Amino acid sequence: MPDEAALRPPSPGWRLRAAVAGRVALAAFGGYGVAALATAFLSLVLPMARSEAVATATLLSFAILVGAVIWVFSARTLGRAFLGLAVPGGLLAAGLWLALALVQTAQPA
Amino acid sequence: MTPSSVLLTLALSFAGLSALCLAMDRHHRAIFRGAPSRRRARALRVAGWCGIGAAFAAAVITADWNFGPVQWLGSLTGAALLVVGLVSYRPRWVRPAALVALPVAAVAAFLA
Amino acid sequence: MKQGFRQSMAWLHTWAGLVTGWVMFCVFVTGTATYYRTDISHWMRPELRPAAVEPGIAAERGAAYLKVHAPKAVAWYIALPQEERPLLDVYWFDSFDTPIRQATLDAGTGQPSTARATQGGDFLYRFHFELQMMPLIGRWIVGASALILLVALVSGIVTHRRIFSDFFTFRRDKSAQRGWLDAHNVTGVLALPFHLMITYTGIVTLAFTLMPWGVASAYRGDALRFFTEAGQNPAGRAATGRPAEALPLAPLMARAQGEVSEPLEMAIVNNPGDAAATVVAVFEEPKGLAHRHPQVVFDATSGDVIDRLGTLKPAAHVFTSFLGLHEAHFAGPALRVLFFLCGLMGSATIATGLVLWAVARAPKAGAAPGFSLRLVRGLNLGTILGLPIGIAAFFLANRLLPVDLVGRATWEGGVFFGAWGLAALVGLARPQARTWREMGTAAAVLFLGVPFVDVLTTDRGLDFLGFDAAMIAIGLLLAWGARKVSRYRGPARARAAAPDNLARA
Repeated sequence: MPDEAALRPPSPGWRLRAAVAGRVALAAFGGYGVAALATAFLSLVLPMARSEAVATATLLSFAILVGAVIWVFSARTLGRAFLGLAVPGGLLAAGLWLALALVQTAQPA
Repeated sequence: MTPSSVLLTLALSFAGLSALCLAMDRHHRAIFRGAPSRRRARALRVAGWCGIGAAFAAAVITADWNFGPVQWLGSLTGAALLVVGLVSYRPRWVRPAALVALPVAAVAAFLA
Repeated sequence: MKQGFRQSMAWLHTWAGLVTGWVMFCVFVTGTATYYRTDISHWMRPELRPAAVEPGIAAERGAAYLKVHAPKAVAWYIALPQEERPLLDVYWFDSFDTPIRQATLDAGTGQPSTARATQGGDFLYRFHFELQMMPLIGRWIVGASALILLVALVSGIVTHRRIFSDFFTFRRDKSAQRGWLDAHNVTGVLALPFHLMITYTGIVTLAFTLMPWGVASAYRGDALRFFTEAGQNPAGRAATGRPAEALPLAPLMARAQGEVSEPLEMAIVNNPGDAAATVVAVFEEPKGLAHRHPQVVFDATSGDVIDRLGTLKPAAHVFTSFLGLHEAHFAGPALRVLFFLCGLMGSATIATGLVLWAVARAPKAGAAPGFSLRLVRGLNLGTILGLPIGIAAFFLANRLLPVDLVGRATWEGGVFFGAWGLAALVGLARPQARTWREMGTAAAVLFLGVPFVDVLTTDRGLDFLGFDAAMIAIGLLLAWGARKVSRYRGPARARAAAPDNLARA
């Protein structure tokens, strides 16, 4: 049956193991990084009260994280997977830097 | 979400899901001779979805919009588990059980 | 990854499921038990009889104890008694950097309770989100595992080809792999709304531990300010350093109760004894999904109301509703049974998935299993049967350990981990089919023994009938499972040729 065939993997060589390890690392660190940047960025720019923005951004962050992981494991090549995270990540980082500079943030208590 | 309200949504969900189950070739074959005719399958599917819709309405009316949807989903799961259990271990009980579910629902509706 | 979306997702589901399976099985089982946390705590303190104590008076008794034992604390927390639990749990911080201290008092006398020392249902609850480890480490392990489970859920849904046509399908008469796969699919799909909801809301309960970056950027890390602006905490008031006489608590509690219709849950005194001390009356969540507690804040010396916490803004309301959905405090007894059933199905989805992983990789007849397969089988056995053995041992220890044993609560925890560890070692040493039957039977016997020991060692009559009946039901379920596993002989045509496939599970 097709499902069961997919469950039996071929015996892996070192190249495959390295590719898998690369994807796992990218998904874990890259995925978390993108989600964290998105949370920080959205908390500053969403057009609502500050506590509301933080709550909304944090709620969304986990969907972003899971989406990023799905992307990393479905992209055709490791390179594409990397770009798919690096480009949005870079944009978010730039946006966050701008937002921190422009938007009024709370003074620490 | 009183016990009678939960019983009502469970009974309606069970009746509806049993009908949907019997509309499928594989399960119909396990209980009756052969696959259902096109008309019978369609009638069962309509009955099934009506049961599920009725369960939703009952949930929202007796447990209001806060808890009704949660109760409906929980009842669907519980009822579906019972259908799978019967279809796997006592397939001949599915039709009588689905029919008994209707007066049970009526009694529960009266109590709720 | 080069094979196409569905196949990539099948691969991802298989490996994400394996990596997270053992931890999440334990989280699901203890979480399912936590739906009945108060009933378990109740059963584990049989000396405690129901008694109604007026909350204001109880609060004053708690405050009196704290005045003697924690006069210099920065905050006092007095958890008020409920009728079936006439105990006062008092907590305090000597300073915000020192760990929280606590005591359990009898609500009638205000003195330390003489009921047997036990963590009760809270033990399983703390295991559920913290694994009984240091908070940060335990919560990160659980949180990360839950995120991986979410990935496994999504990839599993994508990969399941016949999600509608196989909705009611459970084939026991084909191969072992087919049977386990059908069981995995049925328990997974039938309760899918629950699984998605409980996993996501569970992650949300740990949201600010796992993802503190919103608070970091918008509040420069000042989490307290965030919770205050979100309407969860009253604003703090710094201590003045000048001592002042505080008003008695009972009238303040009564005035607060006059404003709010929910029962009182907790009284908090900030900076007790100081001129700037405040008293917060915290109430139970009102009917509704949102996990929010109305609060009324008084100035401790003048008795004026200085703050009230009530309605929440939209995003905060959604957030607390997610918390409410996860804890299901709102559920009445019938709905709670449905939640419990869904929790069991979630545990079964994970367990059948872990077993399926091993069954699908069983070596051909005659060949020996490799190290990694033996390890997975051993871990499966040690987790899926080891944890129930630990839980049953925990309940038995509660009844059998002497009531005045020093450090009794720690001993009970020790029995839980000890019994589980022993079972796990047995499982790792002998990961075959026979061990499933033997350990399954052992687990069944332990659970069936709980009501037996209960009746012999306590005199509560029929008070614990529900709990004891549940123990019997679980014991019978385990016994039935053990018998099924031992009787399975494989599909008719394969019986003649190959040995028992299930023996390789």
